[in-house]
Amino acid sequence: MVDADKIEMLEDKARAIRLTVLNMIAEAGKGHIGGAYSCTDIIVALYYGGILRFAPDNPSWGLRDRFILSKGHSGSALFAVLADLGYFDTSELALYCKNGSILGGHPDRNVPGIEADTGSLGHGLGIGAGMALAAKLNNTGQRVFVLVGDGECAEGAVWEAMVFAARHKLANLTLIIDRNRQCVLDFTEDCAPLDPFSDKLAAFGWDTREINGHSFEEILAVLEEPVAIVEDRPRAIVANTVKGKGVSFMEGILKWHHAVPNQDELFAARTELAQQTNYQAS
Amino acid sequence: MTKSIDIRDAFFDELYEIAAKDHSVIFMAADMGAFSLERFRRDFPDRFINVGIAEQNLISVAAGLALSGKKVFVYAIIPFITLRCLEQIKVDLCIMNLPVTIIGAGSGFTYSSDGPTHHAIEDVSIMRALPGMTIFNPSDQITAQHAAKSASDAAGPVYVRLDKGAWPVLHEAGEDLSKGLTHLRNGSELLIIATGNMTHSALQIADELHHSGIKAGVVDLFCLKPVSGELVGIAKGYDRIVTLEEHTLAGGMGSAVLELFAGFEVMIPVKRFGIQDVYPAGYGDREWMKKEQGIDAGLLINKLSAIYGTICERIT
Repeated sequence: MVDADKIEMLEDKARAIRLTVLNMIAEAGKGHIGGAYSCTDIIVALYYGGILRFAPDNPSWGLRDRFILSKGHSGSALFAVLADLGYFDTSELALYCKNGSILGGHPDRNVPGIEADTGSLGHGLGIGAGMALAAKLNNTGQRVFVLVGDGECAEGAVWEAMVFAARHKLANLTLIIDRNRQCVLDFTEDCAPLDPFSDKLAAFGWDTREINGHSFEEILAVLEEPVAIVEDRPRAIVANTVKGKGVSFMEGILKWHHAVPNQDELFAARTELAQQTNYQAS
Repeated sequence: MTKSIDIRDAFFDELYEIAAKDHSVIFMAADMGAFSLERFRRDFPDRFINVGIAEQNLISVAAGLALSGKKVFVYAIIPFITLRCLEQIKVDLCIMNLPVTIIGAGSGFTYSSDGPTHHAIEDVSIMRALPGMTIFNPSDQITAQHAAKSASDAAGPVYVRLDKGAWPVLHEAGEDLSKGLTHLRNGSELLIIATGNMTHSALQIADELHHSGIKAGVVDLFCLKPVSGELVGIAKGYDRIVTLEEHTLAGGMGSAVLELFAGFEVMIPVKRFGIQDVYPAGYGDREWMKKEQGIDAGLLINKLSAIYGTICERIT
């Protein structure tokens, strides 16, 4: 059972990160707010929930766990978290996507705390599998977490990596799928269907769980489970999420994949996020 | 004279020696073997990984290993280990500038009768366009060993384009190959710049041209990226230049030479010989394929004698 204070702290943090992302995207006049919001709670749980081992004052610490945001277009949420943790100055966030900024539309390793350049979809799981294999060969006990979008799973390379990770028994590798059921033009089931997704992952040899990706109780419960050493299987978490989560008029609406709020929408979104002092996951 | 061995065995034997000393070396294949790799697999089983026929994932996993301090060599037939996973090479290896070496088997028409899916006639152009990529195209076992050593020392991505078979040895063991080229034969009238197995044709052609009174020299250009500026100095000792490659002319070795010359405003006439802008039709052995494309040694001797015999007579 996860304690209530921790849940409240995480909910407050997620709200603050969403506000930061909103301001970054409004200031830049571009960004992918829908997908950033669907995975904000997952990223917050990883970094603030005591899951990842990391050291903001020493980003290249050899024994750190690795997190790869394979759905790189949600980089704004990760940048907001890394800045908040002290990997770089929060003033950089105001320069997001502006001339000469270190922060672009997608993560790259010039940004302290970023482990892999992503943005082209379908690469992150293979890279994470390589990192997990290296940790296994070196016997360092490090864990690797890869967050992919569900739309991204239409890329065949994701499934190649699933086969590889199961074959090499990468129990130190955790795949989290941001299952918001939307891609750019369509709902996933209308263009490249994935259901029954959990069954497919299990059939590929993964220790598979399905959770509400906006419930910190459920996210932490599954992430805090010990690594499945006995079963020697990589773990997949299908996190059911809502694109645009946290701002009611964005939730589940396709256009908010990469729409930018106008002044009225910005005001409404800020107001709504500010009111969620006790953010209720649903 | 050193007894020649298969160019692949020379590369993999050298890699074995490197891996024996450097435990960070990992070898990954996309279901592709070689005689000399069996020893590597037997002696370093944890560091030999066959990912199956999945080149895209192969490159991404290699990147993940390299990001964790490993030195990775990946291996498959050229079209599959370059073009099938090109975007993974671009993003995971080149943008991140990681020390991963791509070993491609079967340059040019090595897999002759297997058809155009297996030919490697546009890989150099494409790989050359990737910033940060180093490219080796060995002509013999010594340059193959040199490529293995250079790749293991490299800080970024390397592409090694391996031919097949035991070609005559053109270099001395221990020779300084750091410039990526060797001036194998001196001349003054016509310089033939060749790469890979075409270097052997170039030497044969130069011999024949000498009999016709044409003073032809030969450069073996085995590092195709970067092309050493030393080539400019060598070229300036000649009246005319030809380039020979078993590769498309669009962006291949000849193009790389012209780009270098343009940068230095070298005004010597250059004629390029290679594969035209087509996917060759028909099936046959390598020599037949080269004849069809007008780049076998016999045809080139006739063509070059006709062109340069007249020109050289006119000059003298």
